[in-house]
Amino acid sequence: MITRRTAAKAAMGAAAAVALGVEVTPAQAADKEVTVAINLSLTGADAESALRIRNGALMAIDDANEKGAIKGYKIDVMLLDDGTATAGQYDPAQAATNARKMASDKSVVAAIGPQMSGAGKAMAPILSQADLAIITPSSTNPDITNPKFAEQYRPAGKAIYFRTVTTDAFQGPNMANYFAETLKVKSVYVLDDSGAYGVGLADAFQGQADKKGIKIAGRDRLDPKAADYTTVLTKIKSIGPDALYYGGVLQAGVKLVKQAYDIVPKMIKSGGDGLYGPEMLTAAGFPAADGWYATNASPHMVEDSKLDGWMKAFSTKFGMQADDYTITAYDGASVIIDAIKRVAASGKPVTRSNVRDAIQSTKLDTLQGPVSFDANGDLVSKVVSIFQVRHDTAYPADDMIHQFKYIGVAPEA
Amino acid sequence: MTTADLLLQQLINGLSLGAMYSLLALGFTLVYGILELINFAHFNVFMVGSFIAMWTLQMFGLTGQDVVMTGLPLIGVLLVTFAVTMTGSGVLGVVIERVSLRPLRNVKGPAAMITTIGVSYILFNLILLGVGADSKNFPNPLPQAELHFGDAVLRLREVLIWIVASVLMVGLWLFVQKSKMGKAMRATAQDPEAARMMGVVVDRVIVMAFFLGSALAGAGGLIFGLYYNFTSFIIGFTAGLRAFTAAVLGGIGNIPGAMAGGIIIGLIETMGGQFISTAWTDVIIFSILVLVLVFRPAGLFGRLAPSKS
Repeated sequence: MITRRTAAKAAMGAAAAVALGVEVTPAQAADKEVTVAINLSLTGADAESALRIRNGALMAIDDANEKGAIKGYKIDVMLLDDGTATAGQYDPAQAATNARKMASDKSVVAAIGPQMSGAGKAMAPILSQADLAIITPSSTNPDITNPKFAEQYRPAGKAIYFRTVTTDAFQGPNMANYFAETLKVKSVYVLDDSGAYGVGLADAFQGQADKKGIKIAGRDRLDPKAADYTTVLTKIKSIGPDALYYGGVLQAGVKLVKQAYDIVPKMIKSGGDGLYGPEMLTAAGFPAADGWYATNASPHMVEDSKLDGWMKAFSTKFGMQADDYTITAYDGASVIIDAIKRVAASGKPVTRSNVRDAIQSTKLDTLQGPVSFDANGDLVSKVVSIFQVRHDTAYPADDMIHQFKYIGVAPEA
Repeated sequence: MTTADLLLQQLINGLSLGAMYSLLALGFTLVYGILELINFAHFNVFMVGSFIAMWTLQMFGLTGQDVVMTGLPLIGVLLVTFAVTMTGSGVLGVVIERVSLRPLRNVKGPAAMITTIGVSYILFNLILLGVGADSKNFPNPLPQAELHFGDAVLRLREVLIWIVASVLMVGLWLFVQKSKMGKAMRATAQDPEAARMMGVVVDRVIVMAFFLGSALAGAGGLIFGLYYNFTSFIIGFTAGLRAFTAAVLGGIGNIPGAMAGGIIIGLIETMGGQFISTAWTDVIIFSILVLVLVFRPAGLFGRLAPSKS
């Protein structure tokens, strides 16, 4: 764990700054310190996206600290990793441990994360008991914020799991609308990867597809650790639906994409934000990935000319390209900073329950647009973006922005 | 697609999958036949083999599926890759035996078996730390040649898998039956003490069993990569467990049994997926295993060597 909290470090930093002749704002010495925890899957299969998300959040926090955005306060960061080597990806047990760690540290007033819904399910009950708000920039499983499961995920009552993305309750169905209205799909075969996210997404898609009059040609489940999907793909070929929809992440996705290219090359194929990642381009690769649709549970912002300056500042600072979930992370951190600011300005103590209440009543104009939350913590705006992989040989094969062609916003139900 | 075409296609799929399981099952059976040891490190020797194969192909400048080779250069590249991969994996197996199992040779109880589990995890984590957790794009220089039987498609790589697996298995069978070393192996499997008294160097026989089994696993890893066009640190467990099941199904210690067991498991997996659901694959495989073991505890083909206990 990296923490930037130690006073010694701060003192050293100040000393170094003085030594270098940099002016130090004297007011900072008197600033009170509050901590924002960041919990992501920094080890394993999702490490690369985790890094982009982390940097998005850090960008907002560093900005706020440099500019003294919150008068009298300085934000420290507690960085936690819920990925483990044995799991090879996020590990719910580690996520629970991290949730306890941030809950037990009184200086933590809010958190960013987690990246994955499976981690979120483990963290939410613990954070609820601690009345500690967390804002996820990427986890989309709807159960965590669904009032139906409130007893399980927020036993203490209040919403603590906020999102700067929408959920699979929209991501799946909106794509089903696109299938019916634009792609004119008449029948679809649905697969999932047996994970919390994948099953939920596939179910949500299937329900809306059915309502839209698309025939569900079949439904099956992939074992993400197995290598061979030729059997199920051969079965799909023999049934001959217009399209294939896959709910799941890239561990099974890479193999599915490769084998589908051999067996059902001409079929319309799509997945959710689980397929919207660099591995789709590097591990599944071309030509197999070509033509696949993927969605994202947020507006598509990185190609928006209004954000050119921000994008440039980000790549200068971190030496990498931002993606849409970098921006939702930046927005999440901005929401937290804004909430702390409002609590501090109102004269109330900056405690985690005051910050939670302030987050709940957020009305903030962020990079993705206006952000506010409903009573369950879900983002009021429900934008789902659609992409299609189209190989553009003019750009490197792993260039997310140019190989995933932005198609538009999926029609809402 | 007619039902006949569909069945033919699933048969092709199942035989390819089965050939891979058979190669892997042979490694379990060879070591068990001689040491009565279930070698769980074998799972990840297979996985490391697929990485050795990937790196070898990359040294020929192949990175994805975009470079296609034909004729003699293709045969040359494949032969060299098979040789390097099988030698590399074989040596890995020998090192594992020498370092972690020989010191436990005369220790009673499950110590050696538990050690193989530990070694398996070490290999797993070394690859994870070394290359990362993401799936790797496995180079494939095979041309897209295919034969059509109605709607069923037989691809070059499936033919290649069948040829390679058959050649290796027949080769192994001849080696064990005809060569002097093979005779020593069979003798050791029947009675190590008597074999030793007859002048068989038992240590050398054991090293040979590990080398051959691991080399076959390496070949399996290469075939896996060419067939699925990917590899990852995690591929060893599912494939290894099914191959181990194949070895038990055929009668562990029995070489033709392992070959047949692999093919049977491959066919069960595809036919089960077709007619029931892929979500139930493991349930189907293990139910059949339990049924077979209840009625034929020594496996379908029985053990060739008498039990030493």
